[in-house]
Amino acid sequence: MLTREMAIAEFDRERIVPDRLTRKTHGRYLGYAERMLRVYRRGVGLTRQALHRAVWNVFADEEDCPARRIEAFCKLLDDAAAFHRDRRGKAAALRREVFRMAAASHPLVRSPDRLFDHAETDVKAEIAQRLGRSWTDIDAELFADVIEFHRLARFDGYPDAAALLARYNVAQVQAALFGAASMRIWATEDFKTILRYAKLARLMHTIARQGPGRYRIDVDGPASALRETRRYGAAMARFLPALVACRGWRMHAVVRTRRQGWTVGLDLSSADGLTSHLPPPEAFDSTVEQSFADKWGPEPRDGWRLVREGEILHRGQHVFVPDFSFHHADGRTALMEIVGFWTPEYIEAKLHSLAQFPDARILVAAAESVRQRLGPWADRVIPFKSALALKDVLERLTQL
Amino acid sequence: MLEGADRSGLPGGLVATDWTWDARVGAWRADAIVYAAVVERLRRSGCNVEDRVPQWEPIRWPRADLLELRAEQREAVDAWRRTGRGCVVMPTGTGKTEVALAIMASAAASTLVVAPVRDLMYQWHRRILQRLGYDAGIIGDSAFRVRPVSVTTYDSAYIHMERLGDRFGLVVFDECHHLPGPLRRDAARMSAAPMRLGLTATPQRSDGRQVDLDWLVGPIVFDMPLAKARGKTLADYEVIRIPIHLAPEEQARYENLSRQVRAFVAERRRDQPGYAWEDLCAETGKTPQARRAMKAFHAKKAIEDRAQEKLRVLEDLFRLHAAEPCLVFTGSNAMARDVSRRFLIPCLLSHCGKKERIEVLEGLERGDYPALVCNRVLDEGVDLPEVKVAIVLGGTASGRQAKQRLGRVLRKSRKARAVLYEIVSTDTTEEHRSRRRRDSDAFDRTRRRRF
Repeated sequence: MLTREMAIAEFDRERIVPDRLTRKTHGRYLGYAERMLRVYRRGVGLTRQALHRAVWNVFADEEDCPARRIEAFCKLLDDAAAFHRDRRGKAAALRREVFRMAAASHPLVRSPDRLFDHAETDVKAEIAQRLGRSWTDIDAELFADVIEFHRLARFDGYPDAAALLARYNVAQVQAALFGAASMRIWATEDFKTILRYAKLARLMHTIARQGPGRYRIDVDGPASALRETRRYGAAMARFLPALVACRGWRMHAVVRTRRQGWTVGLDLSSADGLTSHLPPPEAFDSTVEQSFADKWGPEPRDGWRLVREGEILHRGQHVFVPDFSFHHADGRTALMEIVGFWTPEYIEAKLHSLAQFPDARILVAAAESVRQRLGPWADRVIPFKSALALKDVLERLTQL
Repeated sequence: MLEGADRSGLPGGLVATDWTWDARVGAWRADAIVYAAVVERLRRSGCNVEDRVPQWEPIRWPRADLLELRAEQREAVDAWRRTGRGCVVMPTGTGKTEVALAIMASAAASTLVVAPVRDLMYQWHRRILQRLGYDAGIIGDSAFRVRPVSVTTYDSAYIHMERLGDRFGLVVFDECHHLPGPLRRDAARMSAAPMRLGLTATPQRSDGRQVDLDWLVGPIVFDMPLAKARGKTLADYEVIRIPIHLAPEEQARYENLSRQVRAFVAERRRDQPGYAWEDLCAETGKTPQARRAMKAFHAKKAIEDRAQEKLRVLEDLFRLHAAEPCLVFTGSNAMARDVSRRFLIPCLLSHCGKKERIEVLEGLERGDYPALVCNRVLDEGVDLPEVKVAIVLGGTASGRQAKQRLGRVLRKSRKARAVLYEIVSTDTTEEHRSRRRRDSDAFDRTRRRRF
């Protein structure tokens, strides 16, 4: 992620628009990105300072390029690189040795006199001799552990120029979110991923159903109930790449600016064409789910339409997104969760989730092998061996 | 959080403005800081509640070995103990840490010490080990070792207090003028600790937010002004200012760069009469010319900062004070390394690990090292042994930084007077910064000296 000091955004009274480089507006940047990647790919052994200078040189004649943008690129490239970091403290040990040797000769003077006769060059030459290496060598290594003097060990980030620019665009939105006080998401798909990553980022949620398969999800943190605070902005920024990887969403964040009391809105949606460095969520958790959905097909059966992850069950901070929901033409709905071949912990977590929502109209399909471990559900599950049969499910739906 | 009460009513005696109904969890929520007051109110109203907040525990200090306190230190401890909450204002070098350790010893509860930077955090860790015989936990500097007595930094406290606020019965805010920042104040607001101690030499903040210390920590319970301390518990001191000139080739480069900046601004002003520094900053994103002007400006500053003449004057000062430990402050990391490489004296910068810092500081104390150079690391509070000579080669213009740096050389000791040298380039903007820096009551006896 970038730091606040690398954030670039335009403000028009009520909106914040993070910096974004597109082929249309910034076509030349593809070439620059290519050259920056080349700097790092060929830069093994160079210091961070030298790499950053080379990146700055890439933009020497570019009219449209704020310093922050260059610094942001340096950060994103550094983040994907591995540097030698002198973990064992070689430079520190060398400093200790050299400074202790020199202490007796303090002060090292340029013009020796009778009182102070330790000439700088003599002392340094003597130390070099005692250590058995040249002074130039010693001098070069004395501060090798300073971050700007770290040397590049490996670089294999970003497959191509477009990937670097895509990462940059997302990173600028993340940087804008550092100041975010709240975030509201309207989602129609991938609820599981959205809620899981929000939880991983330690955010709390408030969920409101807007209609069949449409939800509004507010994310913030514990103290947000007491006051508007931007202490969860960094968590929202961490969460963003996961959201960007999802489908069918729109987002609005309230962002505090540096000017006291002035807040702006940040709007984004899956139609804006940002590309996350995270892969899109898997459509199905298991082959059982996939083959069931394939067999069902897009058309209704007996009036029931099948939707993947179509509804969210929630109570307080507990959420449960069943694998499928069924929507009947007459307005009836039902849910279904498929319990496959999994570990005892997984089954326990599933039972816990189901127990949270005793009133939900939910079907549970389970593999024969795990059926006995499903406690109160054991008699009610729809059993299957390797594939879930459509007729078993349709039969239960008519009984609901 | 208050569970069990429903949305329609808070239990009697509670202050409604403290509390908010949190529908996300179905409970009442308040800032942890009101904990002590809430417990007191509920007790008085006879309300039956189960208090699951305190996770802190009594602490015994079987290996405590505290120093005998001086009269004014005892006075500070007693003043704090009357309320158990509040700030103690004492100038740097008058033994704030000893006061805090005495308070910790008598409070005998789980304690968190919050320090401004990680060096100070480690220093607290050492002092607690040395005087209270306790190996405190460390939260920060990529460590997360929580123990009943722990040390941390303001930045880490801001992040983690939300989850650790119920673990400590006493929180000590060192250099507590840092606390009232709009974010950092969460370190106090999200803690349930009934006992709070703030320590500072300079409670004033340029934004006036020091008034918030009253409710974040507690009112000032003890205040010893700098003037009272001078010459009594602290060494007397003087400030000597040494103007230097740039070397001819530096001067030439400096003027050339100045011309570039001026020419650029002059050209802009032909079309835009009010063109100012802010406009230049804004324009660096749009034209390479503006970027070059900005680069010239920074190069100019680097010439001031790293003027060769400064190293020559430093050599003279090192000769003058060859027998006593000297402390050198620079305006940049690069200059600190220049000094270190020129004189082969240790330099303390942020890249130094904990081990190296301790080795260097103890080395200076034992006399293994004749001098030490640093940029900002030692700005505040880091204990230094008996340094009588400080040399400032550059720095920012703020009065507080000047005062804190000055404090470093004012350690109580023998009869010797402390000296603070300030070396500034003449005919540059650095001279202006120096003038502003001295606009503080610590600098009212500055002498000028030409070398």
